[in-house]
Amino acid sequence: MTMKIGIHGLTSCYGCQLSLAVVRRILDVVGRFDIEYFYMLSSKGEISPVDVAFVEGSVSTEMDERELRQIRNNADIVIAVGSCAIHGGVQAILADEGISYQEAFRDVYGDSEMDYEGCVARPIDSVIEVDYRLPGCPPEEPEIMYYLATLAMGTWPEEKDYPVCAECRRAGNPCILIERGEPCLGPVTVAGCNARCISYDVPCIGCRGAVPHNTAWFDSLAKTFREKGMDRDSVQKRMAIFSARHPHMQEMLDDIYEEEQ
Amino acid sequence: MKISQEITVDHIARIEGKAGIEVDVSDEGVNAKLRVTEGPRFFETITKNKHWRDAVAIFPRICSFCSTPHKLTPIEAVEQALDVQPSEQTRLLRELLYLGNVIESHALHLYLLVIPDYLGYPDAFAVAEQQSSLVKDGIFLKDIGAEIQSSLGSRSIHPEAALVGGFGKLPGWNKMQAIRDMAEQGIATAERAVDFFTEYEYPSYVDSPRRHLSITCPDHYGVYGTEVMSSDDDSFHVEDYIYHLQEHVAPYSFAKRGSYKDEPFMVGALSRLVNNGDLLTGRARELMDQHSAFLTPDNPFANNFAQAVEMVSFLERIRDLIDEIGEPEQEQPAEPSRSSGEGVAVTEAPRGLLIYSIGIEDDRVVEADVITPTAMFLPMMEVDIGDMATGLWQNGCRDEQTIASKLEMVSRAYDPCISCSVHVTRL
Repeated sequence: MTMKIGIHGLTSCYGCQLSLAVVRRILDVVGRFDIEYFYMLSSKGEISPVDVAFVEGSVSTEMDERELRQIRNNADIVIAVGSCAIHGGVQAILADEGISYQEAFRDVYGDSEMDYEGCVARPIDSVIEVDYRLPGCPPEEPEIMYYLATLAMGTWPEEKDYPVCAECRRAGNPCILIERGEPCLGPVTVAGCNARCISYDVPCIGCRGAVPHNTAWFDSLAKTFREKGMDRDSVQKRMAIFSARHPHMQEMLDDIYEEEQ
Repeated sequence: MKISQEITVDHIARIEGKAGIEVDVSDEGVNAKLRVTEGPRFFETITKNKHWRDAVAIFPRICSFCSTPHKLTPIEAVEQALDVQPSEQTRLLRELLYLGNVIESHALHLYLLVIPDYLGYPDAFAVAEQQSSLVKDGIFLKDIGAEIQSSLGSRSIHPEAALVGGFGKLPGWNKMQAIRDMAEQGIATAERAVDFFTEYEYPSYVDSPRRHLSITCPDHYGVYGTEVMSSDDDSFHVEDYIYHLQEHVAPYSFAKRGSYKDEPFMVGALSRLVNNGDLLTGRARELMDQHSAFLTPDNPFANNFAQAVEMVSFLERIRDLIDEIGEPEQEQPAEPSRSSGEGVAVTEAPRGLLIYSIGIEDDRVVEADVITPTAMFLPMMEVDIGDMATGLWQNGCRDEQTIASKLEMVSRAYDPCISCSVHVTRL
């Protein structure tokens, strides 16, 4: 029996859909799936009942919200794909910095009127129930294959709950945070990329989002950053790029940077 | 007998991002709108007050199809602002990385999004069932571009290893050789794309005169420059873009819309070929001479042909660049020599001119302005959509489905990148 899937995009860069479209080993599994909806690639199809819906992008307009509800109503399983769907994406920095939609809108469009209503970017689980999360900006191919394969076998994907650091040590990289003071977010970012950027000698920017279940060690990383000479504002802003948020981030940073004074 | 016809496409399939078409056509005239419904993402607002290092990690997220141009262009702007002098090797490697993106983007557009139209299929999956070698060609060309971007940039979507001042860890000679071999092999593949697009006549009705804007190439047919030229023999320095390119807001579009000399204009592969085609060399030159009849400046469908010719030209350039670079030497990125300043950079993204203007104070971005090609050409695309609807109407076509699919084809020829278009800020 083939599994029916739909691939959808809300407000985003379309990179997750592009990653899904160009998976090299897709032919190994594609026979098990019927792609019912993939509007970026196909002019056929309306949103119809499927077994699994993959959703990329943040909720940034009323239309996004309506479409998302329609997707949920037609899917047994909904998978949030990528940073925008899971955390709101870089566009959710607005929320972090307390900038309202109206403020940002005026900044960009002035006094112009628009036929459509927008909002500050939100993750999709603010509107619908999400069954699984496939992280990345964009997601990595082996993980896409793993998710597809588990679904095809009738089981489910297990989300990783440990940081990029673990993979980085295994990859044999020197620690560019400890040794060179690079602003690497590997210690708080969820694994799955095989420490891709650090293997290119570039510090992690946390694009996969924080280790889930509030288990990311923001405080010890912030302390290390402080020791390496980063100021409080830089630490907070860098952690917030991909929504590596902690409910008590402010207090935590207050404590860490107060000790200094 | 109907006296007017409304055609609505809620959501154009097979383009990057969300946009729809609304056309009202009658004997009295036509009203065509391209509705851009993709949500705004305020990139200039969210990069404000960020360290420039963090800002250049955020900008590429504007668009996945052209994340490399959205990385390399702001890097150039930051380097100008802070007086960073990258090495000659870095400049060559950047061009290589950039061209990798253009190859990938053109291949994805032509093979996955456009060719199904020509063959009458809903998508490339259906094409693959009937003509698998055609889709394999596309995937191979895309892979060449992806391989270059992964090797130099860390990955093909949102590369992180291109840095202000230089690069992260560089590929070794074996990898460079492998890319060179792929590019060499890809030239013949790309020639088949040129063959494909010269087998079809361009649809008629879309032939309004237009200006083409592109960079002025300093020496070879490429993507880097500092001067913008117009096909009416005018030009301006990119730092003065604000005086030459106007932007407007329309209530039905989250994308702002550009004009030049108060008129719509075109950018992209066709514009580059119109303005800089004399600089083509090698196999691309021969193909261009052989098929010069297909370079029709006023028909947007020529953009597909132009992209195919560019794939040949850029693959030849990639081969030559690798010969020139040889084995890359690992270098430390060049350091900024100040912490405040302003910089403006322009490059030729796959879809045309891409401009970044960045102001920095004490290492923080205080002002950013991004003008994307899609925002520039949207009004021209509307003109062409209107012309197509009018042409079909006047020739008796009343079938909504037929008209709608033709209008979608017009929009697809431009290769619009809607995600890119919804971020323009300055008023």
